Formats: sequence, C-alpha cells, structure tokens
Amino acid sequence: MPTGFGREFHTQYQKCEWENAEYKGRDFQDALYDKVSDRVARITFNRPEKRNAFSDRMFEDAFAGLHQANDDPDVKVVIIRGAGICFGAGHELSSPEGEDSPPIHPNNNPTMVDYYGFERRRCTKWETITDFPKLTIAQVHGHCIGASQMFASCCDLIIATEDAQFGIRGFGNLHHGITDWPIWPLWSNKAYAGHAISETSGKEAAELGFINKAVPQEQLEEETIKWAEKLANLPSDAVTITKEWINGSLDITGVGSAQWSHFILHLGIQYVHFRPYEVNLYKAKRDKGLKGFMKERAINATPDSAPKK
Amino acid sequence: MSYKTITYEKKDGIGYITLNRPEKLNAIDDMMLEELDAALALAEPDLEVKVVVIKGAGQAFSVGQDLSGVGTSEVILDPRESISMKNQLEAERRRNRRWEYIFHLAKPTIAQVHGYCLGAGCSLAMVCDITIASEDATFGDPMIRMGLLPGNPLWIWLVGIKKTKELLYSGAYLTAAEAEQFALINKVVPADKLEEAVFRLAKGISLLPGDGLATCKDGINSVMEARGIGEAWRFTNEMQLIMQHRNKEPGEFNFFEVRDKKGLEAAIEERDTPFKDFP
Repeated sequence: MPTGFGREFHTQYQKCEWENAEYKGRDFQDALYDKVSDRVARITFNRPEKRNAFSDRMFEDAFAGLHQANDDPDVKVVIIRGAGICFGAGHELSSPEGEDSPPIHPNNNPTMVDYYGFERRRCTKWETITDFPKLTIAQVHGHCIGASQMFASCCDLIIATEDAQFGIRGFGNLHHGITDWPIWPLWSNKAYAGHAISETSGKEAAELGFINKAVPQEQLEEETIKWAEKLANLPSDAVTITKEWINGSLDITGVGSAQWSHFILHLGIQYVHFRPYEVNLYKAKRDKGLKGFMKERAINATPDSAPKK
Repeated sequence: MSYKTITYEKKDGIGYITLNRPEKLNAIDDMMLEELDAALALAEPDLEVKVVVIKGAGQAFSVGQDLSGVGTSEVILDPRESISMKNQLEAERRRNRRWEYIFHLAKPTIAQVHGYCLGAGCSLAMVCDITIASEDATFGDPMIRMGLLPGNPLWIWLVGIKKTKELLYSGAYLTAAEAEQFALINKVVPADKLEEAVFRLAKGISLLPGDGLATCKDGINSVMEARGIGEAWRFTNEMQLIMQHRNKEPGEFNFFEVRDKKGLEAAIEERDTPFKDFP
C-alpha cells in the first residue's frame, strides 16, 4: 500500500535535483536557457504573465538549464534572471494540487511519512542550487519574493537594481509562513530575519550585505555580464574547490542543521491552528479565492490596519 | 521489478532486503547499489512496511566494494583515472548522499549481519538504525590499505575517536564481540539465533504506528545533525577528493596496478599480508 495522498514520493538524493532534469531535446518554456558567451550561460524565468511564479514546470526547465550548464565544459558562470517586470513572485499559490509549490491542504490528511517524502524533496532542492559546482549570479530586478528570493539567495552572488524589492510574505502578519529560509541571516549579521520579512530594496539589501551590488536599472544587465566574464577567468577546478570550501564552512556554522530543521518545521507548520483573527490561507482561499486571500494578507501585514484581537 | 543482485520481499509488516550475490560474498557493485535504491524507494513510502531488515545471502553480509573493476565505477573510483575535480566531487556526493539517505529513511532499519561486514558493507550496516550480528561476524574498513579514504564519518560518532583512529589507520577488523563492546553494533547473538533475534525485534517495532516511528527516528537523527554529522558527510566528500588526487609515494603499494597484472585475489593478498600480525 503506497502512502496517502497520491504525490510522487521521492527522498533519494544520490543525484542532485538538477541532474534529474534532462536538457537534451527539452522544449524550454517556463524557463529559457541561452549562452551569453562561450563561458557564460543564462537561465531566464519565463512566465512574465505570472510574474515568474514557480510552477513545477518552471523549476524543471530552470534545473535542466543548470544541468546543461554543468555539462557544458566551456561554461564557467551561470546567470539567473527573470523575464518581464520582475525576477519572480515566489511559489505560485494557484498551481494545481499535486505540484510542489502550493502548500499541502490539511484535508489531504497526509501521514508523517508522506510529509517526509514531500518536504525533503521540496526543501532539499534548494541545497542543490547552493552546491551547484559552477558559479551562479542572480540578476534581480523588480520583485524578488518568497521562493524567488530563496532561489536568488542560493546563488553565489546577487546583483540587483536599486529599486528591486526583496521580501517574504508567507501568511503575512509578520509570520514567516511557509516560506521560511534559514540562510539569509548568515549573509550578513546586519540582515537579521526580522528585517528581511518586510520588504527590502536593492539599495538597502546591498548596504546590509545581503546582496553584492545594487545598480540603476539600465546598468543591471551590463554589470551582471561584466562580473560573470571576470569570474569566468578563474580556473574551473579551483572554483569548484573554493566554493565547496566556503559552503562547507557555512555548514559548520550550522547551515546544514538549519536546513534540516527548516524542513522539519516546514512539516510542523502544516499543523498550525489558526486563531480566528489570523489570516488562514486555506480558509481565505476557499471562501474568497486566491486574490481574496492576498488582499486579506496584505491588510493584515500592515500593522495599522490589522484587525484588533 | 525483478532484481539481479538483491531480493526484496515484505511479510508481517517487515520489509526484507537481501543482498544476493553469495558467490561474490555479496560484494557491492553498481547494479547492487541501483537495486538497493530501488528497493528502499519502494519500502519507504509503503505503509505496510513498518521496518526494513537488510541482510546478506550465503556466507556473509557483504565483503564491501566489488574490487574487480567491472561495473563498479559508482562504487569505487580508480585513482589512476584522470577525472575533473567537479565530476569527482559529484560522484562522492552521490555516494555519501546514498548513505545519508538510508540513515534518514523515514522508517526504522535493522542490519542483520553474519560473516564479513567490510568496507561499503560495513557502511551499509552502520547507516541502519540497529545492527544485530552473529558471533562469526567481522567488521572493518580496509580502504586505507589501498591508499583510499575509509570515508564513513559515522565511525567517530559510534565508536569514538580513539577506536576509530586505531581501526581506520590500520584497516584492522573487529570481531562481533568487540564491535558490540565498542557500540558499533547493538547486540551479538549465536549464529543459529540471529534470524530469530532480528525477527523478534522487527516484529516488536512493526506493532507501533508508522508516523510515531518516523517522528521518533527523526528526533534522534536531528540530534546527530546538531552534533555535526551532516557537515561531516560533506567534508568526507572533500577528503575523498583530496585522497584521490594525492601523489603516490615512491614504491607505494598500488592495488589497482597489482590487480591488473596479477589478478584480484593476488592483489588482496598483497594488500593484507603486511598487516597479518597487526595490531
């Protein structure tokens, strides 16, 4: 008897998640792959009408791009960017049931073992971006929210426009919700999580040390490619080893354990009981639709307008 | 799925994975790893399986990595092969992630060990939650004798740093009684009682709710994470990388050269002879 609720169960990580995404013969749609030059590859999130919100297909296409960049011996650096008006709006909350992005509805009544299969896959795929053996640069403009910010955080470098907007929404109301990500406090001891919950501009983020550089919109592409080409001068194996050393050192500061507890807490948050005055994603979505939920969340996230207890 | 190198069956809430290359003392080759993955992927989400027992057919649990060099690129990398740091790092990650995956499998696992339990076979027994062995069992990892890294960080957590160093510097083996004494295994029983002892334990575990077992296991394993085992796996990858690329000393025993010239048995003989009276 297989486990409960009809999702793919998969916890084995002998391969990286991106190694499982085949690029040969792929029709890249929701994320595009191209080469800026011999040494620099580029992945473009390509659902501009959905503000590049993550569907399973977008993840797969993007991961196939990483896979292709990995296998291409000429490629030294990969740039990640978004098409349209922003880098990305995070997980798509209106994805069909059964995709990784939407939270699991409690009515599915999954077992703990189901959750392990689901959460380990969902959370561990971020680690495989962090540990990608070539250099990655996120080129961020416009909104970079939730899962999109996580994707950017997992890249080695972030270069953003000054007016880019980083942030995490979750359930709103100063609640990390289901998009908690344990590593941002580590990028800078000034960028504590409490700050990152609210929206942070590219300029502020650069001052906090959370990203590497903020530039005016019209210089973003040029600046990112300039960095990529410079970094591409480094010897590949030296970069691989150095990156592994840095990431390994971060592990010793506790990132590995933080990621571990991240997916356990992710699992735990599925059992949250909402108080009557709190925004309940499932209930709000059921009663008022996704837009209704977002509106309610926005009102609640603004301290002055939150309903009194 | 039909397996060639293992068998998988489930009975009374217990999943049995049997390493099944008895003519090779269950030496682990690429296909066995693949089939082990497949069987565990079946067992883990199967709500009818409360606990997984891993054992070996024939005379031994497993002698470890298949050293023949045929169908073993995933199991052991020949240091003579020129391979980029990046590709090798990926291979090491896959290897250690497999051990981590089994270690964290969302249900209890028991290794039922008899005879040789060496190298990767020993790692397999170590990543199981519980190891029960018969009196004739032998544990150890002789990789250092081939100039390779005995890369399982769990040794340090299980038997302590002094014993780990003694064993891994020398490639020496432990008897079942010693393994029990140093907490590498849970319990040693007479050979004719092994099957029964494992069954009684597995049966007992199988009476408990699967969700409770998964959560309990994760609670215990998260303490291991907090003590750094996750980071240790990663650094094992790196150490394996360095070990593989180091320059050989002049006149250093080269297992792979000897194997290709004189055959596998002669190479193992030559590998182990200098250590006959050691420690």
